[in-house]
Amino acid sequence: MSSRAHLDALALAGDLPGVLLDARRLAASAPGLHGRRRSGQGEAFWQYRDHRAEDGARLVDWRRSARGERYFVREREREAAQTAWFWLDAEPGFAWSADPARTTKLRRAQTIALALATLLSRGGERVGAYGVAPRAGQRAVDRLAYDFVAPAPSAPPPKRSCVLFFSDFYAPVEEWRTRLAACADAGANGALIMIADPAEEDFPFRGRTLFLEPGGRRELLLGRAETAREEYAERLEAQRRAIRALGNEYGFPALLHRTDHGAAPTLALLIALLSERFA
Amino acid sequence: MTLGPFLFAAPGALLALLALPILFFIMRATPPAPARTQFPPTRLLEGLRTEEQSRQRAPLWLVLFRMLAAALLILAFARPSLAPSAAESAQGGRTLIVIDDGWTAAPFWSDVRAAAIAAASEAERAQAPVFMLFTAPAARPRDPGEALTAADAKSRIGRLEPQPWRPDRAQAAQRLAQTRGNFDRIIWISDGLNDDGAEALAAELQRRGPVTARLPSQTARTIINGSVTPQGVVAEIRRAPNGGGVTAIAAETLEGRSLGAAEVTFSGDALTASARIDLPPEIAARAARVRLVGEQGAGAVRLLPAGAGRPFVGLVDPGGAGQPLLSELFYVDRALQPYASLRRGSINELIDARAQALILPDASRIAPTDRAALERWLDGGGLLVRFAGPRLANDPDEFIPVRLRPGTRTLGSALAWETPLGIGAFPDDSPYAGVTAPADVSVRRQVLAEPASLAEARVWATLSDNSPLITAQPRGRGLIVLFHISAGPEWSDVPLSGLFVEVLRRTLAFAGRSDGAGEREITGGPYAATRLLDGYGVLAPAPPETAPIAPEAFATAAASPATPPGLYERAGVTSAIDAARADETLTPLTLPEGIARAGLGATIERPLAGWLFGAAAALLALDLFIALMLAGRLPRFARASAAAIGAIVFFGAAEQAHAQNMDDPTQTLRLAYVRTGDARIDRTSQQGLEALSAMLTERTSVEPGPPVAIDLARDDLSVYPFLYWPAPNTPRRLSDQALANLDRYLAIGGMLLVDTRDAGGASGRPAATMLAGVDVPPLELVGTEHVLTRAFYLMRSFPGRVQSPQLWAESAAAASSRDGVAALFIGNGDWAAAWSGDAGVTARQRELSLRFGVNLVMVALTGNYKADQVHVPALLERMGEE
Repeated sequence: MSSRAHLDALALAGDLPGVLLDARRLAASAPGLHGRRRSGQGEAFWQYRDHRAEDGARLVDWRRSARGERYFVREREREAAQTAWFWLDAEPGFAWSADPARTTKLRRAQTIALALATLLSRGGERVGAYGVAPRAGQRAVDRLAYDFVAPAPSAPPPKRSCVLFFSDFYAPVEEWRTRLAACADAGANGALIMIADPAEEDFPFRGRTLFLEPGGRRELLLGRAETAREEYAERLEAQRRAIRALGNEYGFPALLHRTDHGAAPTLALLIALLSERFA
Repeated sequence: MTLGPFLFAAPGALLALLALPILFFIMRATPPAPARTQFPPTRLLEGLRTEEQSRQRAPLWLVLFRMLAAALLILAFARPSLAPSAAESAQGGRTLIVIDDGWTAAPFWSDVRAAAIAAASEAERAQAPVFMLFTAPAARPRDPGEALTAADAKSRIGRLEPQPWRPDRAQAAQRLAQTRGNFDRIIWISDGLNDDGAEALAAELQRRGPVTARLPSQTARTIINGSVTPQGVVAEIRRAPNGGGVTAIAAETLEGRSLGAAEVTFSGDALTASARIDLPPEIAARAARVRLVGEQGAGAVRLLPAGAGRPFVGLVDPGGAGQPLLSELFYVDRALQPYASLRRGSINELIDARAQALILPDASRIAPTDRAALERWLDGGGLLVRFAGPRLANDPDEFIPVRLRPGTRTLGSALAWETPLGIGAFPDDSPYAGVTAPADVSVRRQVLAEPASLAEARVWATLSDNSPLITAQPRGRGLIVLFHISAGPEWSDVPLSGLFVEVLRRTLAFAGRSDGAGEREITGGPYAATRLLDGYGVLAPAPPETAPIAPEAFATAAASPATPPGLYERAGVTSAIDAARADETLTPLTLPEGIARAGLGATIERPLAGWLFGAAAALLALDLFIALMLAGRLPRFARASAAAIGAIVFFGAAEQAHAQNMDDPTQTLRLAYVRTGDARIDRTSQQGLEALSAMLTERTSVEPGPPVAIDLARDDLSVYPFLYWPAPNTPRRLSDQALANLDRYLAIGGMLLVDTRDAGGASGRPAATMLAGVDVPPLELVGTEHVLTRAFYLMRSFPGRVQSPQLWAESAAAASSRDGVAALFIGNGDWAAAWSGDAGVTARQRELSLRFGVNLVMVALTGNYKADQVHVPALLERMGEE
């Protein structure tokens, strides 16, 4: 870990309890994910059904069957623990907010991710930061929170699991195409959560303005920023469209979230998306 | 260089104005800095070009604004000044400045000074020498022939103050006549008033060059007379025909507190007006001077020396010890105590002590030997207040204002027809006029005056049947006042009533200032100045070198350098020389033909560079804000700076508060040890107390700060509850200061542990040497019943480095004043060594030793709180029995 990243991680770690708290609160207000609601391998009782010829004598639930004339088979609820991976954008521009009073995009992403992870782990799923071994159980969310802080190692896309990408998606579409294609090749799918600052949406700049990309790679001077607003809106829209199309192509439906809005609706949408996936 | 009313000292700088157009184009071409903002989707903006590149150039108004700032700077560097008359009067040559620097110029002294500085400045521009002539006489007059540079002249004018006397122009003309050479310009800054020498001076000036006289529009006024009467303070004010017509006077005490004021209006062309400040006599008596309100100048002040303070009243004591409530003087004493300085004594003693008034009760007789002295004293202005009584009734002497009929008149006795009489209304010419006598005050007995003799005396108060009650008669410059009743309550109720106080106070207003106030003939040396007036009319303590004035000269002295005006004292009596004589005449100055006249209120040149620099700096500061605003950074800048300042203040304060808490022994308990000077012992003490402090913090609720080393002689011990004093290798006696400090420490309840450390070879009894001189109480060996054995831990011995040391404490009997809590412990345990974990001390021993330390601190902090436990075994035993 570079010293700079380490410092950032420490700074953020100072805020982790806050993020976790936000996430717990958010999770508490969310509808929640339910069990699989189908019979299968598992511990919990699901239903009795009539014995069929192909079941063989071994499956008869004798205790239940003794109470009646028919043979019953005891079925258990299917419990197939799945894995949800969380990928958070590590770009410096993602940890940014136009107004210091407003939460940064990264923090909002962490909040939503951890809230979701809380719900998922409550449902028995395994959660993990992208590139880190996933965990299940009570401590999984805490562990996830700490893994968010550490820069994610680059890792091959996990196989046949759910990957949730939290980013602002301002990187070139091609970059995303390679990333998503790799995931899709590994049989993974999931969702894209596009998190945007209101300043990026509304472009409230006026006058002679020098735009600096956080991280200091690009800069651009505009003589009259207000005249660029429409052009910018078009380009942003085009980028979003491209990302959405890309997501649909590879099985990653996209959601847009603004940091000046509450996190709950986005979380509810995500839950709705995922409950199909995890059903 | 002059330009209209402006004068430029460095006109070369104006050339820089030519560069302004170039500056214009440069500034116009430089756009303001853009607003900088972080923006993650900058990539999306790439390639974007806005059509209009607004503010590629700086806006015109901003450029003009900056040009204005630059122009102001350039102008400021040219050092301009505003001098309305610069163009016409910039003529030069040898310049003579004549200044009338008497008190008559004081009311407009700033104008005088300004005019003189203006004249010097003109000469400065012409680079001409300046000569100065001051008309008011001075102890060491300046030579008008001395050529000064204008700068010297200016500094001399800056230091020049008006003198507290009037100019003597004849003498000034003489001094000028002794010099040679003519002048190209003569400026006469005059007070506008005529005097005997004015003509001579004018003639001499005209002989030497062209003269311009600068005259004030309004000349000075003066108080030529002031006095204190029972009705108030009266003053007479004089003016010149061109003096102001309306003014006000105010009476002040010696300390300068205002007692009252009155308006003065000169009627028509009158040159003299008088006014009275109505004051009750007792207040008027405190007036020390009267001054013209709002006018400065020694002549605007009149000193009233006799009123400078409380009158000094002598009570003539008949001698003999009587019942205090029946003593005649008791009532007078009580009545006058708040208003006068009182002293008892015989007539001779009191006159020698310069009493301003004498109060003579009936029981006190005027001995034949006192007569001459009393007569002299009365002639000199003394006030004698007498009370009647049986003795006076039967044997009157000559020191009474009226002749008395022998015997007394008794009202309301068993054998008299008449009933006791009340007091009649006071006559208008009486000093008591306006006082209302209470109706329940009655007179039962009085002495009666021969009606024929009443014509010579003044009757100040009567009974309701018009028989005189208080009579007065001047005697020489003095005054005799007789109360026809006794000073005690036997003859009347008057001494028991408030009326008595009022009447006596008003009577005392005459003390030392009846007709010849303040000029009593009293033998003594010359008059010595106590406080002198300066030219502005402010009294200041007299410089010690002021020469005393012989009595003969004093009577006729007028204000002059040899007899400066002010307050003088001779034999305890204060007199005054006033700046203005009683016959001071003020007439406007008459000038011969050929002398140009000008007003005094002319302006002098005002340097403008400072203002211009200030304005330019303000514009540049504003420009910074504009630049920030154009860059869009103003709100953030303001917010960030506010936050930064807030943070600095907060953290700074918190840091400081914290530091203060830890170091301040009044906030944090700190154990203390006496610095012996031996580094090794001091280190051991420090470490030992640190260990003990840590132990206390760990195991008890006492949480001491770091231990502190103190110096017995210098430090304030009272803030340290516990003091550890290890014996040095060679004990010495304490200094007296340290002894006193230590004694006080023990007395106010500190606790001292003296540790002789049993240093082995140490000589005999170190504690005896260390405590030599300290008030050591009786000691007792600390036994198993002592509170020290149970203050926190239960202990049987008190081991230090020495396994079983001896420990002595102040005996409980000796400490009974402190509830039996010993202030002094003396032992040989070398505890600090054990506490600090010195080599040769086992862990167990150290633990026990620290426990002893804890107990000791507990005793220091809680006293005998735990001593109750002494009875616990007995209590338990008793409970077991029941």
